[in-house]
Amino acid sequence: MMRPVAWLAALVAIAAAHPVQPATPPALPPYTQAYEPAGVDERGLWMQVDELERNLRQSPFIIADPHLNAYVRGVLCRTVGDDRCRSVRLYVVRNDGFNATMAPNGMMMVWSGLLLRVRDEAELGSVLGHEFAHFELRHMLDRFKQQRGVTDILSWAAVLSPTVYTSISATAIGSIFAFSRAQEQEADLLGLRYLAESTYPSTAAAQVWERLMAEADATAAGRKRKPSVHRYTAGLFASHPTELSRATYLRAAAAKVGDAGDPAAAAYRAGLAKWLPHFLADQIKLNDFGGTDYLLGQLAADGWTADLLYARAELYRQRGHPRDLVSAAQFYQSAIDGGFAGAEAYRGLGLSLLRSQQVDAGRTALRTYLERAPDASDTAMMQALVAQ
Amino acid sequence: MFHNGANRGWPGGFMTIFRWAALPLLVALLIGVAPAHAQEKTGNKPGFTLPTGSARIVLMRPSISVGEQSTGGMFEPNADWTMQARDNLARAIAAVQGQLGNSVVDIIEPVGADAAALAEYQGLFSTVADQVIVYQFFPGNRLPTKKRKDSFEWTMGPGVATLPGLAGADYALFIATEDQFGSTGRKAVQLLAALGGVSVPVGVHKGFAGLVDIRTGDLVWLNADLQMGGDVRTAEGAQRRVAQLFEGFPGRPVAVAVVAGR
Repeated sequence: MMRPVAWLAALVAIAAAHPVQPATPPALPPYTQAYEPAGVDERGLWMQVDELERNLRQSPFIIADPHLNAYVRGVLCRTVGDDRCRSVRLYVVRNDGFNATMAPNGMMMVWSGLLLRVRDEAELGSVLGHEFAHFELRHMLDRFKQQRGVTDILSWAAVLSPTVYTSISATAIGSIFAFSRAQEQEADLLGLRYLAESTYPSTAAAQVWERLMAEADATAAGRKRKPSVHRYTAGLFASHPTELSRATYLRAAAAKVGDAGDPAAAAYRAGLAKWLPHFLADQIKLNDFGGTDYLLGQLAADGWTADLLYARAELYRQRGHPRDLVSAAQFYQSAIDGGFAGAEAYRGLGLSLLRSQQVDAGRTALRTYLERAPDASDTAMMQALVAQ
Repeated sequence: MFHNGANRGWPGGFMTIFRWAALPLLVALLIGVAPAHAQEKTGNKPGFTLPTGSARIVLMRPSISVGEQSTGGMFEPNADWTMQARDNLARAIAAVQGQLGNSVVDIIEPVGADAAALAEYQGLFSTVADQVIVYQFFPGNRLPTKKRKDSFEWTMGPGVATLPGLAGADYALFIATEDQFGSTGRKAVQLLAALGGVSVPVGVHKGFAGLVDIRTGDLVWLNADLQMGGDVRTAEGAQRRVAQLFEGFPGRPVAVAVVAGR
């Protein structure tokens, strides 16, 4: 562990070096299998997450589907290589947010909201590679030590000299976040190196952040809010570099590497096909019309499938302006014409039509729903609507 | 910043691809942990008695976490100490069995879907226990429905009866302890701060033990202490901790025999 004086020097250095300049992606470090934690701090951190993992494995939020798990793991292995990916336990978590996490012991969580948002295996690989880079670089341990060092200094300053404390406290706390941002950038660049060495193109990494910014803008517009300005410089308490700076330095780094490859978009759509309707349903429940409509438009870049049309119909029916119901009815009909398998499309179609003064057509659609799903939980309610 | 449990400032313990809220970390850094005030330590379901030698009690896997508290108040988990505490506490619980007047057996952990159901109920128990401590044991903080004298009505629901691993048992015993030993630096800061008239808390030593009636799911006894004694890293300390954990245990033949002073 570094002594407090050394930490103070490091702290000043971090403050002076801010903002961190983008670098070229590093060469791949040699990798050792079956790493065991060393030292009191690292073993303690591992013990804690080992205990968390015991519980996590039993969580109802973990998607157990072996096919989905094997597929996502396959993308990780193709990104970081077979030897590296063996040390990871990967859990797909049913969570509509965009995120993935890595614990110091190699427990990786991939949120379903991330799977919904990336368009191909290369983009997913860029995120999984970033998380794996945190693990390979032992970032959690360094972050723990840095936070402890800074809070130690702050405590000493608080009791020894209130003047010093007042003058350094903001910088010191800011340095915790500056340290976190520097680690994130380091993981971004090593993640990009994995991509460059893999069959996937490293340009995929920047695309994730570009679309995330666009989605945030669409969400804000849909909620009649002023879109937040995308900046290069992160705020004092930001844990990560801004999306704009990540997109920029990742694009620049990918251009320097200059690799090419197949992003495997068709394989990704096929790998996710079974779960896409579920993840779309989660997204619709977020009541985020602007962001969801943008997301659906992105997913439909190569054409509107029946699943996407049904999701769009649900989204419009949920907002429920009179004009939305007309659009929703059209989308439901297109989904049905496009071969949407579930009876619920007739339910949505019927309800949309009933509320658009097309009573007869609406009842006909609801009757079809009742015929196709006689055991549905809302049968009685739908029968009442048909009988009116 | 990475305490025992995901409920404080998550995801402080993980690296993430996307931003997380900085607020919980900031609050933890700037304010620290509020010291515990006067609290009641034991709650019993009114009218509940546990006759000697009549019940079979299953001990769930105890939640044990031991580490150091850094100068700045961060928890530094320690794998060796936690392992020692796990061994010592298990031996101390086995030793105290005879004094509880009933047989206590360790749960055999199931696998697969059964394990998931059990994990949910363990999570539910720790939530219920937290609520009892916050809303019943601190009299000034009581919920209106908990203000009546001699009222102790908490339950996990009848679903407990269907849990795997509990068949044939009468009661489930839950135990949790968390220890953060103050580092030398923390103690020095406390001393210096005390000279200036400021109180800096050193160390966290808390634990609880609870007994659940498997047939009804009712919580029949809970003992919680946010300032416990006994160094769980040693055999003697663990015995003392266990004695404190079982204070007020219903149906115990000799109530004070194992309490070796605090």
